[in-house]
Amino acid sequence: MAVALEVAGVGKDFLIPIIESVSFDVDAGDFVCLLGPNGCGKTTLLRIVGGLEAPSRGTVTLGGEPVFGSGRHTRKVGVVFQEDRLLPWLTLRENVELVQKPLGADAPLRRRTADRYLRLAGLAGFEEYYPSRVSGGMRQRAAIARALAIEPDLLLMDEPFGSLDAQNRRIMQNEVRRIWRETGRTILFVTHAIEEAVAIGTTLIMLSARPSRIRTLVRNDGRVERAKLIDDLNTMIMEEVERQQAAGS
Amino acid sequence: MTAGRWTQRLHLPTLAVAAVVVAGWLVLSWRYGAFVLPSPLAVLRGLVEIVRSGEVWAHTGASLARIAAGFGAAVVVALGMGLLAFLSRTARAVVHDVLAVLNATSVFVWIVISIIWFGLSNWAPIFTTFMITLPVVASTLVEGVESVDRRLLEMGDVYRLSGRQKFAAIVVPSIVPYLVAGMKVGFGLALKVSVMAEIFGVTTGIGYVMNYSREILATQMVFVWAIVMILVMMTTDKLLFDTMSRRLTRWR
Repeated sequence: MAVALEVAGVGKDFLIPIIESVSFDVDAGDFVCLLGPNGCGKTTLLRIVGGLEAPSRGTVTLGGEPVFGSGRHTRKVGVVFQEDRLLPWLTLRENVELVQKPLGADAPLRRRTADRYLRLAGLAGFEEYYPSRVSGGMRQRAAIARALAIEPDLLLMDEPFGSLDAQNRRIMQNEVRRIWRETGRTILFVTHAIEEAVAIGTTLIMLSARPSRIRTLVRNDGRVERAKLIDDLNTMIMEEVERQQAAGS
Repeated sequence: MTAGRWTQRLHLPTLAVAAVVVAGWLVLSWRYGAFVLPSPLAVLRGLVEIVRSGEVWAHTGASLARIAAGFGAAVVVALGMGLLAFLSRTARAVVHDVLAVLNATSVFVWIVISIIWFGLSNWAPIFTTFMITLPVVASTLVEGVESVDRRLLEMGDVYRLSGRQKFAAIVVPSIVPYLVAGMKVGFGLALKVSVMAEIFGVTTGIGYVMNYSREILATQMVFVWAIVMILVMMTTDKLLFDTMSRRLTRWR
């Protein structure tokens, strides 16, 4: 089941403040793209939402449960990292089966689920392959299949196509969009590519230069023309990049 | 093409060098006499003789049994040290320092100490082998533990794998190549060291019989046993460790 995500006043300091204060709400089933200049803390914010890093201030709530607090929350979060992070000594199927173990599924069910999501990710016929034997794009698909196999309430993706060439990138964007439609998961997707965000996201959030706040939040529901939206966002990101450089020097 | 491959298979250039060495050996043994340098033929005859009498198996077996005990114990203890290093940062620092000291200790120290402690018994070569191979195997294992990819462990955290699941699925497979490499080097060292320790006190083993041959002025037998040792070394390397690492890293 997809759940809503609430980020309230989240900030993070690493010696200097990286994220000043960020608040936004995501409805269940939304596909949110997180944009911003390099080094503005997009990945850090994603890691905080995923519970991999504690925020310096603020709260994150997932389907009503706090991500940081006493004890673990019961929501399932799948993460697709910039790198595939598959275990090289396991086949693609074994990789997807592994993450279902903590959920208590028995072996035949794990296998069925793994095969189903590998097929959904376009990897039917490659279940027995080791990661080193398939292309980078296929490894990233397997990582997506793995994240989906736990049937996550929230799916986090951190520039998952950063290492792919333009052609594969385009293909994967369509695939992710299709998978999102078919599974109805809530997705938080970090990218620095504005065209990518406009092509796949339903909600676009742009962060400002460091220490970051939300520069703008737009609904990508077709009311604003795509070309115009891309233009506007490009102008904004250039302003933020300049500000960041000015602050850095 | 095929001719080229056969040249490679048979190590023809190496064989040519070997032929030159044997020729030189022949000349030198003729010049200095069989006591200093026995002829290749005498060595070959000696080799045939110990194979026929079965002596070769008795002494090689005795040496290998001691190595199995000393080296086997070293591997077990090294695994324990690796586990400790994985579980605790403090333990890792201590293990590091202990291994640095052990690595710096000479073989001879352990031979002398083990003779004092265990007298002229089987335990002297076993203990020496243990003490010398432990730091070698443990060092590579600890190195392996340190090189486990943090990003994969973090992936395990994201999907809420238990400590045991992470250990079995991520840590162990990461360390296996290090373990095999450490065991390979360690076994080579074990063979060399235990044979040395066998000079003292025991009445079986390749080291004993080499020293004995020297005492009864049967120099050709010293050469024979040296060849046996080299063969044992090369066979275990090829048969045991090469197969093991091929098996365990099929996924590469």
